[in-house]
Amino acid sequence: MKRSYFSLAVLGAVLAFLYVPILLVVAYGFVPNGISMSFFGADGSFLGFTGRWYAQLFAGHHAVRALLESFWLSLTIAGLATLVSCILGTTAALALHRWRDRLQAIHHALVYTPLIMPDILIGISLLMLFVACRVECGFWTILVAHVTFCVSYVTMTVLARLEDFDDRIVEAAYDLGAGPWYTFFKVELPMLLPGIVAGGLLAFTLSIDDVVITSFVNGAGTNTFPTYVSSMTKHSRNLPSVFALSTLMLLFTCVLVGVSKLVSGRRPKGVSNNTKKGK
Amino acid sequence: MMKMNPLRSRRAEWLVTLPSLLWLALFFAVPSVIVLAFTFHGHTPNGGVGEWSLSTWRELVDPDYPVIVWKTIRVSLEVTVWSIVLALPCAYAIARMGRRWRSVVAGAIMLPFWTSFVVRVFAWKTMLHPDGWLQACYLAFLRLRAWAFGWLPGCGGQVDPASSTILDSEAAVVLVSVYTFLPFAIMPLYTAAEKFDFALLEAARDLGAKNFYAFRKIFIPGIRQGLISAILMVFIPAIGSYVIPQMLGGTNCVLIGNKIFMRAIQNRNIPHASALATLMAVSVLIPIACAMWWRRSQSARDRKRLDAETARLMTGGAS
Amino acid sequence: MNNDFLVFDHVTKRFGALTAVDDVTLTINKGEFFSLLGPSGCGKTTLLRMLGGFERPDSGRIYLEGRDITDLPPDKRRVHTVFQNYALFPTMTIWDNIAFSLRLAKLPKAETEEKVDAILDMIQMTEHAWKYPDQLSGGQKQRVAIARALVDRPQVLLLDEPLAALDLKLRQHMLIELDAIHDQVGITFMYVTHDQGEAMSLSDRIAVINRGHVEQLDVPAKIYEAPSSRFVASFIGDTNFFEGTIESVEGDYCVIDVKGFPRIKAYNDKNLSTGQKVALSVRPEKIRVTKARPAPEKGASINVFPSVVQDIVYQGVYTKYWLDSADLRISALKPHSRFLLDQETITWNDPVFVWWHPDDAYMVEVR
Repeated sequence: MKRSYFSLAVLGAVLAFLYVPILLVVAYGFVPNGISMSFFGADGSFLGFTGRWYAQLFAGHHAVRALLESFWLSLTIAGLATLVSCILGTTAALALHRWRDRLQAIHHALVYTPLIMPDILIGISLLMLFVACRVECGFWTILVAHVTFCVSYVTMTVLARLEDFDDRIVEAAYDLGAGPWYTFFKVELPMLLPGIVAGGLLAFTLSIDDVVITSFVNGAGTNTFPTYVSSMTKHSRNLPSVFALSTLMLLFTCVLVGVSKLVSGRRPKGVSNNTKKGK
Repeated sequence: MMKMNPLRSRRAEWLVTLPSLLWLALFFAVPSVIVLAFTFHGHTPNGGVGEWSLSTWRELVDPDYPVIVWKTIRVSLEVTVWSIVLALPCAYAIARMGRRWRSVVAGAIMLPFWTSFVVRVFAWKTMLHPDGWLQACYLAFLRLRAWAFGWLPGCGGQVDPASSTILDSEAAVVLVSVYTFLPFAIMPLYTAAEKFDFALLEAARDLGAKNFYAFRKIFIPGIRQGLISAILMVFIPAIGSYVIPQMLGGTNCVLIGNKIFMRAIQNRNIPHASALATLMAVSVLIPIACAMWWRRSQSARDRKRLDAETARLMTGGAS
Repeated sequence: MNNDFLVFDHVTKRFGALTAVDDVTLTINKGEFFSLLGPSGCGKTTLLRMLGGFERPDSGRIYLEGRDITDLPPDKRRVHTVFQNYALFPTMTIWDNIAFSLRLAKLPKAETEEKVDAILDMIQMTEHAWKYPDQLSGGQKQRVAIARALVDRPQVLLLDEPLAALDLKLRQHMLIELDAIHDQVGITFMYVTHDQGEAMSLSDRIAVINRGHVEQLDVPAKIYEAPSSRFVASFIGDTNFFEGTIESVEGDYCVIDVKGFPRIKAYNDKNLSTGQKVALSVRPEKIRVTKARPAPEKGASINVFPSVVQDIVYQGVYTKYWLDSADLRISALKPHSRFLLDQETITWNDPVFVWWHPDDAYMVEVR
């Protein structure tokens, strides 16, 4: 079918469009001239690649200190925000799944609305709250803001997993004599874990990537990695280091995803041949 | 249903509902109310919030604001149209692939998200920079055109590098917005297309419909739900766009998002920022409300119309 | 209250405007294989869930071995359920699934292992003990679900449409296996199904449920041969109904005047008198179809009616006929003992005779 070829061509072009900047991010991490961001000298000669920016990163060179600090801050906030939003999101999903009353209708609206609002609105409204309450903006306000927009995503992910279950499984546990807490920790939580992990990963990615909301509530001088980068100009001397750091992050996530795919793909076969008796 | 289950008691419900309910009420609902309340205040010169008044809403008539609101909507619509036009063939192509390829390509579409959004925008900024190679290509193209068609009226003779930069233009904002939101448009379309029964297209072709006719009359209505999601997934963040115009639009493409940030952080006019945020919320809620209303009223009719269309084709009415 | 094993005493359960279970009183004997049979939505699952402790009746009590268990939560009653979709714990191995209730009961490790291994052996799943539920086939999951519910020897085992998700061949196999398991463990089984074949072949007694109340409670043969109501007669198997008025009574038999049909002679099992209205059920397999008029038997008269063949469906074991006789349409079954050699072939629009013995009709409704 002709149409297929046409759409395949568009798909190819779109993939190229999506990947050119990524390839450039990787390439710029090795750029020899950090000021002009060019691989070519003034006379048009090719200058080759350099590992200088990576060396600076690993050595913690004073030129990249602010960059590294912002990066660690991002990791800390993303980690904490993930933890808190996973707890809040899991309880929220359990509540939304089990009960269908007026309270849950309100609850659902509160969880759902942040998902459809542009994130800048969450940023500005939180800023207004902090202004109204005269709260000094900084680490804690950023953390609160991140948890607020992550909770909804975690809730939806866990809820989707809950809806996939047969509710009879919980009934079966009661039927066989288990109490509510035993059922929750031995039966429900293990089943929910993949959903919580997926929600947590999503929350982590969203938090570590957020620039809009953070730039409203970070106050002066507290910069996460994204707000630090967005404040740079093209001729900033640390630009290649930023690209080098991003390349490392990309590599890390790729490895992480690859490993998780490998592990999750292997599980069923691994246990099927297992004849040992345990416990 | 399980009334005797202790975990389903009223107390248990409050226990699991309260944490998230309180958090979101305190940090989402209350702030939204505060924003709304601030719009009914004046502002003080030192960046504070003044007395209750309608002055803020009156000042919004200032020609600057309506122009910006309209520009934001226009740019968002433009971004939405481009994204959907590009995403439709992509979704179609992926959905028609084999199961294995499908997940690989769908993964590849989402992979760019594992690089920081700001860094990707920065990569664009570097590419589009007047010293960068894309600008050079663009200028080369302009020069080539001037050389080849310069004698034609209206095609301009001289190329002025200073006034023909891509960076700091509306075009750059649209380009990078499409780049950023395209995966959000492809994914819902692809999920809808995956569920679509492609035998319907073959049936249409079999009954004499041209490829494009079948695509337009059978495929598009068949994935209508996904189409609406895709439009919302692009349009809403585009309306709220802040980083892209900030980094790539310069002074030539200031949208509501940038204006909110300016008023809130730079010139500390809190009531104005609140009023703009309220305007933005309204311009987002209107399409959402429309989509929800439409979805509710049409989902049943949708199917019937698709059936009718197929039936018409099957009775040989294709033209 | 009394010494019966399991008693539903005037139990009623409503969901909003719908009365799912309407004043049901039932007594089930110890060790019995008892079935609740009825169409979907008739309330049989609600009855089961009330016994399991998942629903609380609006009124009435449930007694198990003399003890009122109506208000006990599910984890406090020794009644286990085999769920329709098995509800095996997906994150546990088969072995752990089965050991679940024993571990909760804090049984010594050695005893737990012994019991789990024994029951695994019984269901022939020993080699699959360390698999996870999603690695098993439907029939295997079914056996594990049964083993998990049986391992700590509950007082009653509840089975909620346990075979519904299996295909036909496997279902037939599991029927035999279920029967064997019941014989082996000697525990009371309470079986819910909408499939009359399953209920017939397994049960000691069947309660036919319709719209929340018990239509008939009896042994399978009585349910089939002597249905107590029109509903039971039509739900269990296929049947022909004839409605009419008693015209005369002759000894044990009576003659019924049916509208739009010749008079029918039937065994007067309800001891009716002239003038009473009655509905008569005649099973298709009791009706014979022949081209020649049958010779009257000695000492008894039979019902013979000329008919025309309207439709024929060949179904292997037998052939089903739809015939127009007077104003009524009758269905009849004809088994193949010597296919094509039995008699001359009957085909569409053939004039034939349908006939049955007066003893083969059964009165189901009297007004």
